[in-house]
Amino acid sequence: MKKVLAVLLALAMVFVLVACGGGETPAGGETESGAEGGVIKIAVAGPMTGDNAEYGIGFANAAKLVAEQVNAEGGVKVGDATYTVEIVEFDDKNESDEALTIAEQIVSTPDIYGVIGHFSSGVCMAAAPTYQDAQYINISPTSSHADYSSIGDYIFRNNTVITVETRTGAEIAINDLKGTSIGVLSIDTEWGQSAGNAMEENVKDLGGNLAIRQEVAATQTDFATEIANFRAQNVDVILVAGMYETLAPFALACDSSDYDVKLVGCSNAYTTSLIDIAGEAAEGIYAPVAFFAGNPDPDVQAYVKAYTDKYGAAPSALTTQAYDSTYILIEAIERAGSLDREAIKDAMFETNFDGMSGPTTFDEIGDAMKVFTKIMVKDGEFVVAEF
Amino acid sequence: METFIGAVINGLALGMAYALIAVGYSMVFGVLRLINFAHGSIYAFGAYMVYFFISIQVGLFWSIMIAIVLSGILAMLVDKLALEPLRKKQSIPIASLITTVGVSFIIQNGLALEQVFTSEKKGFPSLNLFPNIMIGNLTIQSSQIIMFAVALVLLAVLSYIVNKTKIGLSMRATEQNARAASLMGVNTNFVISFTFFLGGCSAAIAGTLISGYYQIISPTMGATIGLKAFAAAVVGGIGVLYGSVVGGLVVGVVECIAAQYLGSNVRDPMAFVILILILIIKPNGLFGKKGVSKV
Amino acid sequence: MKEKKSLNLLAPFESFVDKFKVPLSILVGAFLIAVPFLGASRVAMRNLVMIFLYAMLGMGLNVLLGYVGQVSLGHAGFYAIGAYTSAILTTTYGWSFWTGAIAGACVAALIGFLLGLPTLRLSGTYLTIVTLGFGEIVLMVLRQWESVTNGNYGIRSIPVPELFGWELTLSNGGFYWLILFLSTVTAIACYTIKNSNAGRTLIAIKEDELAATMMGIKTTRYKILAFVVSAFITGLAGAYYSVINNGYIEPNNFVFNYSIQILSVVIVGGMGTIRGMYFGSALLMMFPQVFRFLNQWRFVIYGLLLVLMMQFRPQGALGWQSTLPYKLPRRAKKALAEREKAKTVQ
Repeated sequence: MKKVLAVLLALAMVFVLVACGGGETPAGGETESGAEGGVIKIAVAGPMTGDNAEYGIGFANAAKLVAEQVNAEGGVKVGDATYTVEIVEFDDKNESDEALTIAEQIVSTPDIYGVIGHFSSGVCMAAAPTYQDAQYINISPTSSHADYSSIGDYIFRNNTVITVETRTGAEIAINDLKGTSIGVLSIDTEWGQSAGNAMEENVKDLGGNLAIRQEVAATQTDFATEIANFRAQNVDVILVAGMYETLAPFALACDSSDYDVKLVGCSNAYTTSLIDIAGEAAEGIYAPVAFFAGNPDPDVQAYVKAYTDKYGAAPSALTTQAYDSTYILIEAIERAGSLDREAIKDAMFETNFDGMSGPTTFDEIGDAMKVFTKIMVKDGEFVVAEF
Repeated sequence: METFIGAVINGLALGMAYALIAVGYSMVFGVLRLINFAHGSIYAFGAYMVYFFISIQVGLFWSIMIAIVLSGILAMLVDKLALEPLRKKQSIPIASLITTVGVSFIIQNGLALEQVFTSEKKGFPSLNLFPNIMIGNLTIQSSQIIMFAVALVLLAVLSYIVNKTKIGLSMRATEQNARAASLMGVNTNFVISFTFFLGGCSAAIAGTLISGYYQIISPTMGATIGLKAFAAAVVGGIGVLYGSVVGGLVVGVVECIAAQYLGSNVRDPMAFVILILILIIKPNGLFGKKGVSKV
Repeated sequence: MKEKKSLNLLAPFESFVDKFKVPLSILVGAFLIAVPFLGASRVAMRNLVMIFLYAMLGMGLNVLLGYVGQVSLGHAGFYAIGAYTSAILTTTYGWSFWTGAIAGACVAALIGFLLGLPTLRLSGTYLTIVTLGFGEIVLMVLRQWESVTNGNYGIRSIPVPELFGWELTLSNGGFYWLILFLSTVTAIACYTIKNSNAGRTLIAIKEDELAATMMGIKTTRYKILAFVVSAFITGLAGAYYSVINNGYIEPNNFVFNYSIQILSVVIVGGMGTIRGMYFGSALLMMFPQVFRFLNQWRFVIYGLLLVLMMQFRPQGALGWQSTLPYKLPRRAKKALAEREKAKTVQ
């Protein structure tokens, strides 16, 4: 009996599973012409589980906050109709296999009008053609692959352009900190490599003395070798192309091996976790950022307060990029005045959005242009940098 | 030359900690012929327990002690709840292997839950308890010295337990032939549980030492390091205690030298390059006993 | 009592399937081929594609695990080699997908042979460890050998396969038919191997290697054979994977977790069976989709399921022993018939 039961159960499960999997596409019965009180769905796709879950969850939090704010103010006005915004979360585990399945799911859902997301560049690269193909607007808050935006005209990114960002970083190192021997530390992901290369170019371009470049694995926490090498070259300022999980332990390692060096990070290392982990060692880390929570601008302060009240922690740079992305999309939908995807796409290119991460416009391929503030860690807080 | 010596010193400190993890693999493999994939996650669990107890204001020393015992108990529970029933049913060996993979999924993802510790990396108290030693351009961190010394002492204690005590004798007997041992009146199930307990404790200590050195922890921290330590155990000759020590040191030193001269990205795979080379030249590992490979 | 009853029910089921295997397989085959015309959504198509792909990967590993009993934890390495070889040949050298895929599979098989040569004389557990290391080393090479693999930037714009000018894509069902074809061919090949002389030898090695050696079987040679076949199938699946991933692959698509996933397909489905591969793959591929609502708990539960499965059904969901009478191989039948004849003549 047991065996037959097992077989029957197995068959039943397969049937149910496949049915469910297919069945997750929305029923076609729902009409889209809900002139009053319709719903506009925005998908947030990113890692909600696994190593990078904090980023995906941050994206989702930001987007939900936007939805809440927009709905509280009466929703999105498209032509004559008003819609409420609904955020749909998808977990891609930061894996492209999963992301592609999610992408198919999203493009099979007619009332989703845009996708905020996918976290790492590789995953973004894999999923984007599906969105392009189905004419779904995709704004990635993080993708940095050089070819990403050129996948198609529906593909945008609202992150910082590495060359501009690292330019500011190099300025801090050379002009402000007067570094005589400059080192570059980069993580071996696509973003880290591109950022590291841009740093090298910018340092040379500004006439700095580039001493040594070191590359580390993204999850690496052992920096003894790198520190020895930097030290051997008498490096006094290091540009770090890594997120807080690289920058924080690196600062700690410098500190605990009594290596007195100034560190300059990137905007995506701007998160309170950096100070939480590195503590004392974080003092005097500099970074160029597009979004800064200490910005006295009342809009930014209102946003930081709303976010902190809701989620108990201040928003990080990447979370804010997701927040802005969601607003940019909603604004584009309003400007387009219709729910026609092509019209929204065209409206996207006319974006001139004054967001939390600064004024944002998109160039012809869909890269965002931003202005940077120089900040530093002082007395356990991020403040505008003083030199 | 100085950089070379520096790399060797870093490698020795790290290698000793690897050895401490490797011993756990080695002992379990010795008695059960099983790669315990849950071992890396128990290492992470140990570090997180220390972090947790410190964060609720239990002192450093007691936090570490509690974490060690808890990790030992967790490792033992894994065996009692998941592996022992399989042995009773005389399941195929791969069932145990997959079970340990499943357990590591549970522990790792359990730690990363929003309600538990989240996937965000956390800071860990430094183990730099006294000033560093500087020789010319070389720095030897105090946490490296502590790591080396503590691991060495613990390995000596473990080796005493295995070689000189009664339970150690039972362990060795079980390792050679579990059935014969049980006929001789050895409570093999107890011995196996005890082995898991010891392995869990040493993993937690290694977790504390290494986290105190890097000062950062994450739920997946045990995945790569676990595989590397396992490679170290095999390089030294699995089932042989001092083999794990030598294996750990070899992996640690080669890794640091490779990072120095070939770049940091080859750091992690280096352990496996050594592993494959050793297995091709000497299939039982450096100090492996002949016949251990017989399953 | 219970056991007996269950056998009674399984036997008619199996003999029913066996009796009507031609019409049944035509029916199932026709249905499967027709799926894209039945208005399946893109998600459903994508899910089916992934299920068949992992069924194929499962079958590849199954040759090693189910037939010879050798555990590999590095099949993501062969998967990667197939994918990268094919991707590089089609993008840089302008080969067609078909030749690129064959080349990818062959390179994977060759590497499998080179790896198997020194290591397969090691006993089971050690092989497991070597394969684990192999997977990591392949990853290292993919990341470091930038001039060829493009490192972490990955390879993009891998062209979709073309068949007489018709481009295969996900939405026109091309990807689906292609993997249906590939996995069916693989299944037939596996079935043929299993029921061949070599297949019986492999199973003999799995059951008792010592006894097999005593019978004069050159066990290492057969193990290498199985390893090569396994690598070939996995490499072919990899080549297929390189085109369905929207033309973009990167090293992260081949990390250790995928080796575990392939292994899980074989274990959950039922080692040594072909039906089990399809089932295990369906179960594992659909698990994250269906249990999306569990959010972060998904992988805790996944781990729990693996543990429970091993406790209560270690042979896999569909890993039952066949109740059909053993079919003698043709040669043996012939020999027996001749002996019978000789007897009657006497």
